[in-house]
Amino acid sequence: MSPNAAASLNFRDFYVLAPEMALAAWGLLVLMVDVGLLRGKPNAQRRMTVGWLSLAGVVVSLVVAMLPLLGRYNIGGIAKYLPSIGTDSSKLADPYLFFGTLSGDLLNELFNPLYIVLLGLVVGMSMSWSFTDDWGEYFALLFWSTVGMMFLTAAEELLTLFLALETMTICLYLCTAFEKTRHRSVEGGLKYFVYGSVSSALFLFGLSLIYGLTGSTQFSAIRQALYPESGGDMTGLSGNIAAATAVLLMLVGFGFKVAAVPFHQWAPDAYEGAPAPVTAWIATGSKMASFVALMKVLLNALGPWESRADSVTSPGWIGLVVVLSAASMTYGNFAALAQRNFKRMLAYSSIAHAGYMLVGVAAVGVSERHEESAGSVLFYLVTYAFSNLGAFAIASWLARDTGRDDIEDLNGLGSQHPALATCLTLLMLSLIGMPPLAGFFGKLYMFMEALNETQRAG
Amino acid sequence: MKDIPLNWFLYFAAASFSIGLIGVLVRRNAIAVLMAIEIMLNAANINLVAFWRYGTPPQAEGPVTGVMVAIFVITIAAAEVAVGIGLILLCYRRWNAADVDRYDSLSG
Repeated sequence: MSPNAAASLNFRDFYVLAPEMALAAWGLLVLMVDVGLLRGKPNAQRRMTVGWLSLAGVVVSLVVAMLPLLGRYNIGGIAKYLPSIGTDSSKLADPYLFFGTLSGDLLNELFNPLYIVLLGLVVGMSMSWSFTDDWGEYFALLFWSTVGMMFLTAAEELLTLFLALETMTICLYLCTAFEKTRHRSVEGGLKYFVYGSVSSALFLFGLSLIYGLTGSTQFSAIRQALYPESGGDMTGLSGNIAAATAVLLMLVGFGFKVAAVPFHQWAPDAYEGAPAPVTAWIATGSKMASFVALMKVLLNALGPWESRADSVTSPGWIGLVVVLSAASMTYGNFAALAQRNFKRMLAYSSIAHAGYMLVGVAAVGVSERHEESAGSVLFYLVTYAFSNLGAFAIASWLARDTGRDDIEDLNGLGSQHPALATCLTLLMLSLIGMPPLAGFFGKLYMFMEALNETQRAG
Repeated sequence: MKDIPLNWFLYFAAASFSIGLIGVLVRRNAIAVLMAIEIMLNAANINLVAFWRYGTPPQAEGPVTGVMVAIFVITIAAAEVAVGIGLILLCYRRWNAADVDRYDSLSG
């Protein structure tokens, strides 16, 4: 498929982008209401007003984001009220939007509502106590980072992906430093910023090399360019220094974003320093979006560089992913043992989870059943996101009531707040993967996919 | 213009990228770190524009060419600097220092 052949814009493109546009516009609205109408009002009143307004925005965008999904399955006969061009994207010849820079498929239709639901929970968490004075800016930045995540999930082209990644992380740098009076929050924000922008620069250099080697930034075109004219076999990276450099740089960039060892140093500091709702958003939304983008780049664009077709162990990105995942799982879990701060411990746990998910990514790479394996990673991401968000909700309750967030501060929770203690126990059990909780099934499906590989020779 | 071979641009970009990376790693002043990050981004830009000028575009080049990427990267770099300066200023107000070694309330 030549992307330039489909160079026409139509209404469907904008219809599919409606959730992003709604969120971006609502962010502006929240900002203007806070600056214009609530100037000089007491902090608590502004927090609640702006917070409820943001929740209204979440509901509005959730409705908008659900429409394509409802239309796709024609739930309640809704399809006849929706724009007919938008409801049946499976039948359209070209699943790409905006000249092939964005995708508008089932993945986006499912993940957009998910991001919005998670955003709603984060907004609700943020309303529980006053950690800043600038509520309009805070909620607007949360909205815009969500827009970045949605675009990151939808990106089908490296520049779009880079822009979305930056939109997301630049908003998150600022949110991290939002508790301006606390030294730790500001320091966490600066560290996140320095590590994040260095990793963006590395990613960008890798992008420029890939552009040079393939002549395109679009995933499908890169993939076509990488397959040799004759065979269509996977080549791996052996003997191709420029390609190896490019892949390495891109993996370092993504490794920073998903906090995989050895690129994880920012994560504990940013997680501990940031206000608990922001930490929750970095740990869930940003990680989900980065993983989807990582999988899209590695599998859709750079698939031929995975390894040589006859041997999985030959040079290629699959080896790098395996090393990263092994290091993350081991280091993340051991380092978490020594922590005394609750959020810091969760940061190391999220590093370990990134390792597990990288196992899944490697499994998709070698698998013959791409859809099922990729689905298992996505399922793991969703269960991980919700259990982690719950854990950070406990952390934000802890910060509100005690002003501290050490693990010791949880002592006696069972007698004072039995319901909360039960929830925390359930969430922790889900995170370690105890049956019959969701985390167990996430791990089960993913490791089954990894173990069930129809073994290629090698 | 065509007299300068593509390789020279690539060597130059790789060299300035390395200078930027080393700068990030060894400089202790937060503003200098920010400048080093800018050098890294601009090195990538040189690569992109050089590849765009010298490369032969394949059949399915896609909607975005190297120069367009470079232009977008310039705007991204501007946004990053704005945020970076804001964060550094905030840190400076808390610690009265722009030295990244002094920011050490978080560790472990």
